[in-house]
Amino acid sequence: MENVWALAAMWVGLALLATLFAIWFRISTALTEIILGTVAQAVLVVLVGGGGLVAKTGWITFLAGVGAVILTFLAGAELDPLVFRTKWKEATAVGLVGFFGPFLGCTAVAHYILHWSVRSSWLAGVALSTTSVAVVYAVMLELGFNQTEFGKAILAACFINDLGTVIALGLIFSPFTLRTLIFVAVSVAVFILLPFVTPKFFRRYGGRVSEIEAKYLLFVLFAMGGLAVWAGSEAVLPAYVIGMVLAGTVGKDHTLVRRLRTLTFGLLTPFYFIRAGSFVSVPALISAPLVFVALFFAKMISKVTGLFPTVRIFKYQHEEGLYYTLMMSTGLTFGTISSLFGLNHGIIDQTQYSFLVATVIGSAVVPTMIANAFFMPRHLLPRKEQKPVAFPQTTASTAK
Amino acid sequence: MPGTRQNPHFRRILVGYDGSVQAEKAVDVAISLAESLDSTILVFAVARPPEPATSVELEAVLDDAREHYEQGLKGVKQKAQQHDVKLETDIAVGHPGEQIIHRAETDKIDLVILGRRGKSMFEKLIMGSTSARVLRYAHCPVMVVT
Repeated sequence: MENVWALAAMWVGLALLATLFAIWFRISTALTEIILGTVAQAVLVVLVGGGGLVAKTGWITFLAGVGAVILTFLAGAELDPLVFRTKWKEATAVGLVGFFGPFLGCTAVAHYILHWSVRSSWLAGVALSTTSVAVVYAVMLELGFNQTEFGKAILAACFINDLGTVIALGLIFSPFTLRTLIFVAVSVAVFILLPFVTPKFFRRYGGRVSEIEAKYLLFVLFAMGGLAVWAGSEAVLPAYVIGMVLAGTVGKDHTLVRRLRTLTFGLLTPFYFIRAGSFVSVPALISAPLVFVALFFAKMISKVTGLFPTVRIFKYQHEEGLYYTLMMSTGLTFGTISSLFGLNHGIIDQTQYSFLVATVIGSAVVPTMIANAFFMPRHLLPRKEQKPVAFPQTTASTAK
Repeated sequence: MPGTRQNPHFRRILVGYDGSVQAEKAVDVAISLAESLDSTILVFAVARPPEPATSVELEAVLDDAREHYEQGLKGVKQKAQQHDVKLETDIAVGHPGEQIIHRAETDKIDLVILGRRGKSMFEKLIMGSTSARVLRYAHCPVMVVT
């Protein structure tokens, strides 16, 4: 499609529809955008033919890429540095096990059972190694565990888990040349300097209509992303770490974070998630559903096998079951970013990509459903049903 | 008549609040009851996260919900002051029905008042009804204001 405005209208129209579905069904917009991207691509190819959503168009690829980078930055900026400082031992141990369990387990299943190539199998391991910080955090808020020592440690562990994923994605497939060394050295210097330079810069020039804070952050993210790509790595690696190192400063600037969210959700992430969904091949998924089943159970079993003994070492025993379940959730953002990275760099083909994204979605949705079905009601609903009590002269109904 | 407790059963009233017209009606009913029974009101709002939650979207949804509820709850507090009724407010996160049931139990609430949202058949079918769930599981009487 050569008409840029018509193509943009089609994509934003899909984003609008995805948002309406998210509102109606109370599910995350990311999920509806991925699914709608898959469905729209399949329908357009059948009805119109050609490239369907033409998701490989340059400007769409750019907007989607910026969406992934800013989303990753904002995800990193949600870290609570204070909690991490006090709980770093538990967080690091649980987070690393939470990462390495599914990373190694899913890699092994992809290679030895599904007979994927070595590089494809490593990528499967990376894509399925994440833990959704948001799923864990949402349930913690519901149950009030976010204030407990155990809850705080687990939350910090989720960040370490995702950091492991991002580092693995950035370095495993890197060619390891002089460029890689330069990238790592510059990154370390920038990560150390940013928390000191940024607040000073914002105090000196910030708070103006010209939105210099947003421009500053975009410059840093794009520059480090450019350096990462130059070194054969991935732009989201520095973005996530920059988010983490600025969590105590920029992350606390509520107004700035809200402006970035508006930009991200209003324009950028729809392009990212719809594009990610458009590459999923429905016929491939239908033709071999057992591949999905194998990857899904590889993720679940390897995650809980690693976490079970680790959490017991730290003598947390009461709420374990809930958190094992929740930590099995795959984050849609990092799961799809890893899969898309593999597809773009020829590490996996479209069929493998389809299975990975389907597993990412499945492992985001199923643990949430399990948590809702088994943990929420049991905790919140009254343990004993009580007999009705008669109240005189009231219009109120009594409990059954 | 503040200060003269006529009914010892409704000392603490919980009102489910979502900022809708029906929720405002429920608050009005609660204030009216509290005025005559010398009850204390807890106006309770619940921010519902999307599922499965995604990191940045979750924070955005919770921030927006808190802001929306805090704005509405200001008006509710003013109403209570005008009627000289003791009123507390709180905002929780989760499934509205389950959070209301849980809070009613832990806070030893004597009466829950909810506004009926009047959802479409489609929404009822897919999402279920908060008031139906609270009616079924709450440990105390529940009043649904239409």
